[in-house]
Amino acid sequence: MACEPNRARLLCMLSLTFSFFVVEVVVSRITASLSMLSDSFHMLSDVIALVVALVAVRFAEKTHSTNKNTFGWIRAEVMGALVNAVFLTALCFTIVLEAIERFTEPHEIDSPLVVVGVGAAGLLVNLLGLCLFHGHAGGGHGHSHGGHSHGGKGKRGKAVKAGNGSAGEETNNLVGNHNSPGDVRQRTDVSCKDGSEVQMNGNTYFDEMDLDHDSSSQLNMRGVFLHVLGDALGSVIVVVNAIIFTFVWNSCKDQKDCVDFCTYNHAPDHYYGNYTVTAGPCWVLYMDPTLCIIMVGILLYTTYPLLKESALILLQTVPKQINMHKLNERLLSLEGVLAIHELHIWQLAGSRIIATAHIKCHDPTSYMDVAKRIKDFFHHEGIHATTIQPEFVTFSSESRDSLCELSCRTQCAPKQCCGSADKKASSDCKSAAAALEVISETPDQAASDQVRPQTEDEVPVAREVESSL
Amino acid sequence: MLPLSIKDDEYKPAKFNLLAKLSGWFRSILADKTSRNLFFFLCLNLSFAFVELTYGIWSNSLGLISDSFHMFFDCTALLAGLAASVISRWRSNDSFSYGYVRAEVLAGFVNGLFLIFTAFFIFSEGVERALEPPDVHHERLLPVSVAGLMVNLVGIFVFQHGGHGHSHGDGGHGHSHSLFNGSVNHSHGGHEHHSKQTDWHGHEGHSHGGHGHSHEGHGHSHEGHGHSHGGHEEPHDELRKGSSKQILQGVLLHIIADTLGSVGVIISALLMQKYELMIADPICSMLIALLIGVSVVPLLKESIGILMQRTPPSLDHTLPECYQRVQQLQGVYNLQEPHFWTLCTDVYIGTLKLLVAPDADTRWILSQTHHIFTQVGVRQLYVQIDVAAM
Repeated sequence: MACEPNRARLLCMLSLTFSFFVVEVVVSRITASLSMLSDSFHMLSDVIALVVALVAVRFAEKTHSTNKNTFGWIRAEVMGALVNAVFLTALCFTIVLEAIERFTEPHEIDSPLVVVGVGAAGLLVNLLGLCLFHGHAGGGHGHSHGGHSHGGKGKRGKAVKAGNGSAGEETNNLVGNHNSPGDVRQRTDVSCKDGSEVQMNGNTYFDEMDLDHDSSSQLNMRGVFLHVLGDALGSVIVVVNAIIFTFVWNSCKDQKDCVDFCTYNHAPDHYYGNYTVTAGPCWVLYMDPTLCIIMVGILLYTTYPLLKESALILLQTVPKQINMHKLNERLLSLEGVLAIHELHIWQLAGSRIIATAHIKCHDPTSYMDVAKRIKDFFHHEGIHATTIQPEFVTFSSESRDSLCELSCRTQCAPKQCCGSADKKASSDCKSAAAALEVISETPDQAASDQVRPQTEDEVPVAREVESSL
Repeated sequence: MLPLSIKDDEYKPAKFNLLAKLSGWFRSILADKTSRNLFFFLCLNLSFAFVELTYGIWSNSLGLISDSFHMFFDCTALLAGLAASVISRWRSNDSFSYGYVRAEVLAGFVNGLFLIFTAFFIFSEGVERALEPPDVHHERLLPVSVAGLMVNLVGIFVFQHGGHGHSHGDGGHGHSHSLFNGSVNHSHGGHEHHSKQTDWHGHEGHSHGGHGHSHEGHGHSHEGHGHSHGGHEEPHDELRKGSSKQILQGVLLHIIADTLGSVGVIISALLMQKYELMIADPICSMLIALLIGVSVVPLLKESIGILMQRTPPSLDHTLPECYQRVQQLQGVYNLQEPHFWTLCTDVYIGTLKLLVAPDADTRWILSQTHHIFTQVGVRQLYVQIDVAAM
C-alpha cells in the first residue's frame, strides 16, 4: 500500500522545491534578473501543485464515511488530479502568451552564467522529482498487481461468504460505516500496510480499498509527475538557452560603438552613425520562445489524457470497461429478474464502482435468492457496492413488467433538450397506492431509459391512468 | 419482424457532416435563453478583444496586445460556460447513464480554478512590478478602461435582466449579497502581461468584458437557503431555469467583479496622474488579486462539495428526521448506509439499505420510504431491502 511512501515522496519533493524557490528569488534580486523571478514563480506554482496533491492524498486516506461525506474523501485524489491538470493547462497558456511577447520584443539575458548555474540546479531538483514519481506515472504497478491478485482471491472469498447467509451482504459496505469506529480504525490501518496477506482472513474488501487507493492515487501522482516533468523541461530550456547564449551571442554591453539591431528599442536614427560591431546573431534571441512553445506542445499532449480521465470520472460516466448494454442483457437473463429500471453505474474513484438499479421480481419471498444472484453477478463484474431496489408485480400480466413501480421521476429530464419526442415514455407512477399506471407498452430493453417526469406535485394524487386492459 | 429498438443511432453513418453538427449546436445554443445570452456576450467580448488587438498592433503597443490576449483567455472561460450549458442538455446514453448534467458543476469548478490561477498570476506580476516599478503611460490607459467598463455594463444589464425570473424571495437578497462579496476580481488583463521590460507600455487598462463566467458562488448558496426554507417544490420549468440561473448568476458575478476592477483601474490611473503615486498600480493589482481569490472561494467550496459526492447542504437538517421517520415504519429494524449526493443543482440522488423483519410488508415499506424522501426533494432513491434472518 502506497500511502506512506507517497506522502513521504511528496513532502520531500515539496521541501526541495520550496527551498529552491527561495534560492531563485534571492538570486533574482541579487542579479536583478526579471526572468529568474518569473521562473521562480513557476516554481511556486509547482509547489502549489505538490501541496494540492499532498492535500488530496491526506484527505483520501480518510476513507471512512462522515456525516457530511458519506462516501468518505476518496474522491479527493481524482479532484487533486483534475486541479493539477487544469493548473498545468493554465500555466501552458500563460507560457504561450509570454513566448509571444518575447517574439515581438526579444531581449537578451543579462548574466547568462548565473542563469546556467541556477537552471542546472533546478534541473537537478526536477530530475530527482521525476525519479521519485516516475514509478507512479506510467502506472506504478508493483502494488496494483498485487492488489489485483488479492482482489481475485478476495472476490472468491466474498462469494463464499455471500453464499452463507444474508449477513454476508454486509460485506458490500462501500466504506467503513461511521457507526462502528473500531472497525474503521482497523480498516484504515490495514489499508496502509503493505502486507496484503492480512486481508485474506476477515473482511475481504480491504484489498479492494487497497486497490482503489492505488489506482486513484495513481491518477493524483500522474498529475504531480506531469507537473514536475513540465518544470524539468522548463529548466532544460533555460539551461540550453543560456549556454547557447554564452557561446554564440556577441553582446553590446561592454563595447563601444556597438549597435544592437536585434532588441527592440526606440533608438533614434542618428545613433546609427558610426558603429563597428553589431550585437550577436539575432536568431539566438528567438530561440527561447520557440523552445517554450515546443515545450508547451509536449506538455499539453501529455496532460490531455489525465484531464480527460479525471473529468470523465467526475461527470459520473460509466467506467470504460463496463458495457452497459451487455450488462443489462446478462442481468435480464438471470433467473427471477423480470425487468431492470434505472440502472446507473458510476465510478467513485479508482476501481471503486457503484451501481444502483431497480429490479422487478415476482414476489418478496423469491426476492432474497434473486438478490443474492444479482449481487454475485455484480461482484463478478468487479462492482462491489450495489444498491438494488426490489419491485414486485401486483398483477401477473407480463405487459406490466417493463413499467417502473416506484419510478425515480428524473429531475434531469427537463434540463435535457429535445423534450420527450423520442424518449421512451414510461409510467409516472405514484407510490401511495398499489395500482399501476400504464402509459404505453415498452419493450423491456428500453425500459432502462429515462422516465418522463410528471408535472411537479409531491402529493401522489394526480395519476394518469390509461389502462391498456 | 419489425425492429423494436429505438436506438437508430446504430443505423446512422458514423461520421457526420461537420456542418450539420455545427448547425445543430448552434440551434441548440439559440434555443435556450441562457446560452443565447452567453453566446452573444461571448461574441461581444471576442470582438472587443480583436479590436484591442488590432489597435495594439497598429499603434505598436505591447501592452494592448498582451491585454487583448488576456481577454482571449477570459473568453475561453466564457466559452467553457457556454459549452457546459449546451453539453448539460444532451441526452443520456450508454456511457453517461445520468446524462451530462454534471457538466455545469464541472465547468463552474474549472472556471473557479482558472480564476484562482489568474489571481495568483496577477499577484506575482504585482510583486514584480512593485520591486521594479516601470513607467506607466497613462494616456492609453483611460480610454481602454472606460471602453471596457461600457462593455461590462452592457453585460450586467443583459444578464441581470435574464437572471432573475423567478427565484425565491431570497433571490434578490442573494444578489445584493453577492454584489458586496463579488467585488472585484480581476479585471486586468492589463496588469499582467505588461511585460517585464523597463520601458513598458503601461498599464493599458484592461477592461474586459468578460470573463466568463460561471461563477455560481454566492448566489447559489443563497438559492440553497431558499430551498430549505421555502419547501422544495418547483414547477417544471423553474427547474430548468434553476440550473441556468446559476450559470447566469455566475456570469453576472464575474461581470460585476470586472466592472469594479475597471473602476479600480480608473481610480489608480487617476491617482497616478494626480499624485504621481507609481506604487498605486502594483498595490492595486495585489489587492485585486486577493479579492479575486476571496470571491472564488465560495464557488469552489460548493463545486467541490458536489463533486466529492457530499450530502447536499440543503438537506443537512432534514435528512436525520427522514431517517427517523423511516425507522419508525412498521417492520423496519434499521436504516443503514445512507448515501445522498447531488448530481447537479437541485437534483438529489440517494441510496440506502433497510433491515426489515421477515414478515414485513416490503411493498408498503418501499412506497412509504419513497414518499418520505420525495417530500424533502430527493426523487431518485434506491432502497435496498435486507430481510433479517430470524
